[in-house]
Amino acid sequence: MLVLRRRAGESIFLGDDIEIAVLEVNSQGAKLGIRAPRELVILRKELKVAAEQNRAAAVSPGLTEVTEIFRKIQKGS
Amino acid sequence: MAELISKKFGKLEYQEDSVFLFPQGLPAFEDEKEFVPIENPDTAGLVYLQSAKTPELCFLALPAGAVDREYQLEVGRDDLAALGLDTHRQPLPGAEVLVLVLLCISADVPVTANLLAPVVVNLANRKAVQAVRSDSRYSPRHELRQEDAC
Repeated sequence: MLVLRRRAGESIFLGDDIEIAVLEVNSQGAKLGIRAPRELVILRKELKVAAEQNRAAAVSPGLTEVTEIFRKIQKGS
Repeated sequence: MAELISKKFGKLEYQEDSVFLFPQGLPAFEDEKEFVPIENPDTAGLVYLQSAKTPELCFLALPAGAVDREYQLEVGRDDLAALGLDTHRQPLPGAEVLVLVLLCISADVPVTANLLAPVVVNLANRKAVQAVRSDSRYSPRHELRQEDAC
């Protein structure tokens, strides 16, 4: 991972049209400003993880198999 | 009584006031705003969250406390506001809110629970959010062991 040190008021560019500015830094965290093309999806990482995990959780086997797996967990076998 | 079709359970009748209402849906399922909680005597403790509009969509969940007895809830202010709760303090699990964690269940891999993003339901108005934590205290893929699912 590329690591850069920037202060409040400074920014970086990703390519020609994505700018990430550090607006404010305090003990609570860093406030970032992002200027990017409208079609670019920008997500907090934990939301991306949650979305991926939900897609995986949405696929489950039928009732009989779920029952079987759940019983196994309860027995710990 | 209302009716829905579930791929897992077939045709189901449910009380409209039992529905969990997700005003913003869930991440990756933003259009899914109504889920009906179903319990099955064969898998007591397990909660099936059946989408009211999509027969194929049914999440499996456990109360967070059944997976981790010490689970510390941390709901952000935006989520508290969406639930219609006091934004200055954490709600009381069991008394004010129901806290469920979604499971990944398949035959050949260990069952995991998403402790990073619990589903939180306000028991007073049935409003619900998936409260994605911004800290890294809990895993989105916490493996269930024998002593967990009781």
